[in-house]
Amino acid sequence: MSFEPVITFEHVWKKYSKQQVLNNSLREELISVVTGRKCHDDLAEGEFWALKNISFNARKGERIGLYGPNGSGKSTILKLLANVTYPTKGTVHVRGRVAPLIELGAGMHPDLTGTENIYMNGTILGMGIRALKYNIDKIIDFSGLRDFIDVPVKKYSSGMYLRLAFSIAVHSQAEIFLFDEVLAVGDDEFQQKCHSIIDSRFKEQIIFIISHDKNILQQFCNKIIHIEHGVIK
Amino acid sequence: MIRRLYAYKDLLLVFIWREFLIRYKQTAIGVLWAILQPVSLMLLFTFIFGVVLQITQKDYPYTLFYFAGVLPWTFFAGSANFAVTSLSGNFNLVTKIYFPREIIPLSGVAINLIDYLIGLVFYFLLLLVYRIPLTWNILWLIPLLIMLVMYTTSISLLLSALNVYYRDVKLVTAFLIQFLFFATPVIYSIDAVDNRWKYLLFLNPLTFIVENMRRVSIEGREVVLWQMGIELVGIVALYLIIYRIFIRIERAFADVI
Repeated sequence: MSFEPVITFEHVWKKYSKQQVLNNSLREELISVVTGRKCHDDLAEGEFWALKNISFNARKGERIGLYGPNGSGKSTILKLLANVTYPTKGTVHVRGRVAPLIELGAGMHPDLTGTENIYMNGTILGMGIRALKYNIDKIIDFSGLRDFIDVPVKKYSSGMYLRLAFSIAVHSQAEIFLFDEVLAVGDDEFQQKCHSIIDSRFKEQIIFIISHDKNILQQFCNKIIHIEHGVIK
Repeated sequence: MIRRLYAYKDLLLVFIWREFLIRYKQTAIGVLWAILQPVSLMLLFTFIFGVVLQITQKDYPYTLFYFAGVLPWTFFAGSANFAVTSLSGNFNLVTKIYFPREIIPLSGVAINLIDYLIGLVFYFLLLLVYRIPLTWNILWLIPLLIMLVMYTTSISLLLSALNVYYRDVKLVTAFLIQFLFFATPVIYSIDAVDNRWKYLLFLNPLTFIVENMRRVSIEGREVVLWQMGIELVGIVALYLIIYRIFIRIERAFADVI
């Protein structure tokens, strides 16, 4: 490991709009090209706070469960961690390579085979083509899909999909892993496998697991953040 | 842009390779499509304008005249068409993980460039078949090609980004591409155009590029330097502006897509 992964959220607020067509947003973005980004504290019509004043930090080796009902802001936190969006207010500091476990269908193309999708998904997670070539057997073996690896993934079941995606993710050199509701999909045997690899391999990494199932979180995590309506409880 | 993309070069390669695989998977004749598309357009135009309407285009061989126009045009139109829905169609990727977003529309430009280069080989064969005397001026094709790629990249980035905000863009683009087809001398020669309209047409960089691609290869003449200078400055300025805007609004894509 090159350095220790560290994450800090300081008084993070995130505003979203409910409107479908964002008439203002493009104009605001274009104006901000010239003037620099401004932040508005007040809510305009149809806007709401998805996160309100969230602060926490995470250090290496921590497995953090994000627990809360639907729409409470869990996925927004993952988006901020993955750097796909930015906070309206406050600061998010993430040091380390982030690997989200990409949900079914996103990083994979249904017409491509398992092997082809390993390259696809692996490079999206920041692995080099050479590293993937080197690791491809390990990835296939861990997924347990060797017999199906040359089949287009559109013929996979959702469990097989997940196995492949998870297997690619754990073989990436990321320091921070984001698992969104996915561990519930696999069968008992695969969950056991995930459990043991997380215990043995991920001593240095930070893992985030999202779920509204408290049992799964208690099984996997050593710290649980309970979030409701954008506020930490 | 190059500095930004270097760290993600493997991802770009895989995206190009993926598009290539997807495109020719479950097709009967595979990569031959790269040739067949421009060739069928060329034959169509030759038939309609050459045989049916009997319009003479300068004194070039018909097939050569149309192929020289169709090639850069299909590259531009193919890339722009791909780009429009490229970001909005990959929304589940865009909302999950960060990578420079331009990689997706750029991979479309890249695969169309591959097709273009394959078509260019065919074009050279045609030049040989018609015994067109080749001169050193044909090397002008290289800067012209670079200008074409740069312009196409700018338009692709712009369309892909705008379609994230307004899906109207997809609908407008279909018309826009048709319009540009007629505003570009693909099926006619700029020499046949009245002076009043000529200057207007040259506002479209494709006009200059397509017209000169014929001129340097079929006629063996050189480009007019001051004209090229103006077009080049325009294309580079457009690219810089669009790329700057793209980078600026890229971070908001996941929120609005």
